[in-house]
Amino acid sequence: MTHLTEVEMMEEVYGESENTAGVQRHLAACSACAECFAELQRDLAGLDRMEAPARDARYGERVWAAIADSLPAYARTKRPWWAFGLPANPWMRGLSYAAACALLVSCAFYAGRVWEQRQQRMHEATVKTAPQNPPARQPIVVVVLDEHLDRSERFLVQLKHADVDSDTMASPLRDEARSLLAANRVCRKNVAQSDDPELTTALEHLDNLLAETANAPGGLNAQSIAKLQDEMNTNGRLFEVRVLRARISHRKGTGSDPAKGGDV
Amino acid sequence: MIRMGRNDHAAIQAVLAGDKEAYGALVVRHSQTLFRVAYRITGNEADAEDVVQEAFLRGYRKLEGFESRANFGTWIYRITVHCALDKVRHRRGDETSRVGDTNDPEFDQVQVADPAAGPDRLLLSGEIGSMQLAALHSLTATERTAFVLRHMEDRTTAEIGAALGIEPNAAKQAVFRAVQKMRRRLAPLRVAT
Repeated sequence: MTHLTEVEMMEEVYGESENTAGVQRHLAACSACAECFAELQRDLAGLDRMEAPARDARYGERVWAAIADSLPAYARTKRPWWAFGLPANPWMRGLSYAAACALLVSCAFYAGRVWEQRQQRMHEATVKTAPQNPPARQPIVVVVLDEHLDRSERFLVQLKHADVDSDTMASPLRDEARSLLAANRVCRKNVAQSDDPELTTALEHLDNLLAETANAPGGLNAQSIAKLQDEMNTNGRLFEVRVLRARISHRKGTGSDPAKGGDV
Repeated sequence: MIRMGRNDHAAIQAVLAGDKEAYGALVVRHSQTLFRVAYRITGNEADAEDVVQEAFLRGYRKLEGFESRANFGTWIYRITVHCALDKVRHRRGDETSRVGDTNDPEFDQVQVADPAAGPDRLLLSGEIGSMQLAALHSLTATERTAFVLRHMEDRTTAEIGAALGIEPNAAKQAVFRAVQKMRRRLAPLRVAT
């Protein structure tokens, strides 16, 4: 049997032993150690008699009176305006700062989420409306149509005042008619999507005139031109083109269609 | 005029805000406790009173560094222990020969082996207490303080370590060394009784 050391006994007396149960079992079984332990307890108990002499109730006041004059007062500190309402205790004030920071971060996070959702909704709305009213494509179509009508107007003027005896003039007119015919078909295709019956009809009329001009049997001559002016009503077509040009020019300038009273 | 009833933290805030008198409440509240531990470490009433005043003066000067999370009582208690330790060390330096000191070879013969002084007489005259006090003075300043804090002030080893600025295990060893030394010094008295 291994006896307890003095250190182990002292740890037990002061309640700092890590094996109290083992020490107690040993003390119960070993009379030698139990005697030493009891002796140690007696010795330590005997030292308890060393009490400090009592001080009277006014002792604290006397201590204060003795030292008060030698203490310089701390400088009075004025709390800044932004600290108004915060606890005076620095520990509590620290907690308040931490809570304020947490609140600020939460608000920023929430605002970010709301902003993101709003942007997403706006994007979705844009995507939904885009096929019905393609904003980026319309100005290009307007510009192309305006140029086409300008060329058509000039062609119709030339056709109206054509010198029927001159071959040098007939041939360019036919070439221009062929060129305009190809361009007119592209314009008709685009205009068909814009739900504009007036424009669609005008371009259809123009298409017929251009086709007849380009494909006149035996080429353009005085007879064929007279027939075109009569049957195809070139004057009427010229008037139509001018009206349309005026409308398209206005639309290009203001971005709205006065005839329809709405946006292009 | 000393205002009572404030808690320690409120009083400290008032002091730091320029109200010097608020410190008086803290002094009154803690003086008794500090005197007790100062006396047990120094073993002398006059020294203990000096230590208490010195502790409060040091505490006042360091008050700006006091962390509000801490307990003022514990904080000023540690300062007092340090002051008492300094006092004992300083006194040791002045006293080269002292009755009951470790280096005094006549102490055992004079105080214990007096044939005229029987146990009953020793007990009645209070000389046992004097011998215990002498044994306590024979310890080093650190051992004595550690023993006082552990045995008389019921402080834990961790608290003693914090008060003395040493590791808890070192504090425990200091307590055990102190007990061993005192038991050896008081062994003749035990035989006599």
